[in-house]
Amino acid sequence: MIQFQFITAFLLIALGIYAFLAKNNLLKLILALNIIDSGIHLLLISLGYRVELNEIPTAPIYTGYETLKSPMVGPLPQALVLTSIVIGVCVLALAIALTINAYRHYGTLDVRALRRLRG
Amino acid sequence: MMALPYLMIIPLFGAFSMPMVSLAGRKAREAWAVLISGATLAVGSWVFYRVYEKGTVLYTLGAKSPLGQANFPIRIVWEVDLFGALMVLMVAFVSFMAVLYSLGYMRHDTGLDKYYTLILILELGMLGIAITGDLFNFYVFLEIMSIASYALVAFRNDTQEGIEAGIKYMLVGSMASSLILLGIALLYGQYGTLTMGYLALKLSQNATVVGKVALALLTSGLLFKSGASPVHMWLADAHPAAPSSISAMLSGLVIKIGGIYALARIAFSVYGISISVKTVGWLIILFACITLIVGNAMAVIQTDMKRLLAYSSVGQIGYILLGIGIGLAAYGSRTGEIALAGAIYHTFNHALMKGLLFLIAGAVIHQLGTRDLNDLSGLAKTMPKTTFAFLIGAAAIVGMPPLNGFASKWLIYESSALFNPVLGAIAIIGTAFCTAAYVRVLYTFFGRPSEKVMEAKDPEKSMLWPMVILTIAIIVMGLFPWGISDKVMIPAARALENQLAYVATLMGGG
Repeated sequence: MIQFQFITAFLLIALGIYAFLAKNNLLKLILALNIIDSGIHLLLISLGYRVELNEIPTAPIYTGYETLKSPMVGPLPQALVLTSIVIGVCVLALAIALTINAYRHYGTLDVRALRRLRG
Repeated sequence: MMALPYLMIIPLFGAFSMPMVSLAGRKAREAWAVLISGATLAVGSWVFYRVYEKGTVLYTLGAKSPLGQANFPIRIVWEVDLFGALMVLMVAFVSFMAVLYSLGYMRHDTGLDKYYTLILILELGMLGIAITGDLFNFYVFLEIMSIASYALVAFRNDTQEGIEAGIKYMLVGSMASSLILLGIALLYGQYGTLTMGYLALKLSQNATVVGKVALALLTSGLLFKSGASPVHMWLADAHPAAPSSISAMLSGLVIKIGGIYALARIAFSVYGISISVKTVGWLIILFACITLIVGNAMAVIQTDMKRLLAYSSVGQIGYILLGIGIGLAAYGSRTGEIALAGAIYHTFNHALMKGLLFLIAGAVIHQLGTRDLNDLSGLAKTMPKTTFAFLIGAAAIVGMPPLNGFASKWLIYESSALFNPVLGAIAIIGTAFCTAAYVRVLYTFFGRPSEKVMEAKDPEKSMLWPMVILTIAIIVMGLFPWGISDKVMIPAARALENQLAYVATLMGGG
């Protein structure tokens, strides 16, 4: 069976890379970085999702798991994605702060204008 | 080993208590910054001594042993071999110098509590990369380091130079981080583990296509971060735009730890024999040759002093990559070992040399307000101590015999000539360009004094002392080139090459 979530994840990553290369607006570039990150997060989350014996898996809770009938999803990818989202927010905040400053200095959000450093 | 967590605890505590401490005034803030980075240096030296005496150290977070009941690692581990310990020492030492230097250099800036917080976080991230033995943990530290360095490059946000450089650095750096994260995700999906040693075991049993794709992603991301050509453009903008103390850390440490060290660790300790070392090695050699020619050649034509130093950093990264590439392509042979030892040696030396040179550039900017080489003619008359330090640093980076750069470059030349004479020739050509660039600066410094430099004088004590200490370190290391090489660098190269020992330490068999 083809696993659609993987295809979606890689589509998102490809979309993000395309936008990163093709767009010129700073905000769009930042969004592109976030889309790539989202794709990777989806990939990671999908890796932890497993269907056993046609049962839909449940959240990884350790208390009372003896009575649980269905499998649990992998908890590690979720922890990783949580960490990664926090890092992503950090980068996003910094990026937007820099963008505001760039708008003050250059009066535009076009990256093609950010070319005063040369040599 | 119980000292290892303090390598994290001290800078983290220092960084986040900094805003509170600086409420007590400038003196308290400066004393706190020096105290914290000094304590980190002490712990780092202890870690290095301990690893040097007793071999690889393993620290498990949250339990005595990394192994769970099923007998495979389920916890985050820190694993420090001699190579990692050497990097810890390098990071702690140069960061301490940069903090000392900042006391005088940054005095006229505002927002200094944030500055010292960020500089300590940057140090923390680099130390974390050097000691970690877990891939995702590595990614987290890499991002801590990167975010702190983006913010520090754009620290002077009233200048458009800082903002533009910061944005470029951030876009490229985030893209590279995403590639690295994707590589890690693929590895986790394929092998179900993130511990480097256990991953190495799994990979040697069954190296799949996904594992190789992950290697490609990780390598490209790390080459981005290390500023290898043809993606070195951000480096030449970002490093000059930062305050000089930060430039010293970025050029001396960040591109090494976040690029070279991580690349070597992943290529040797994680993948090692489970890939075709010839192919990957030659790929790295190819990039190394382009990098060392482009970087050194671009350095010759710069008129901006800090930009020249930044391009020179690109060139030196080329040498280090050449050593790593040959070490990988000639895996297990004597030539490979020498090349790897040369690369490690040069990493350490270049941190000292480029740290010193950027600190000098900062002193010149502090005195004259310009870094255009055309305005700096005759600086030797009015800033003799600074010029002498620059002479030592430049001679060392070119590879003059009595200084430390000679031994490391010699090892790289020797191994590349043994491996393939063409590579040796390329390395020599790179050095010719490098010499031309530095001779040009020295010629300017010793030239006829222009009116502008007449009022300049040597910088104040807190800026002079770090330069003096780094100069002394360069000279002293140059006095015992082969002793250091045999006692520290060759064992470090062996520790890096010995994948089996790395795995065995983790699994409890070593």
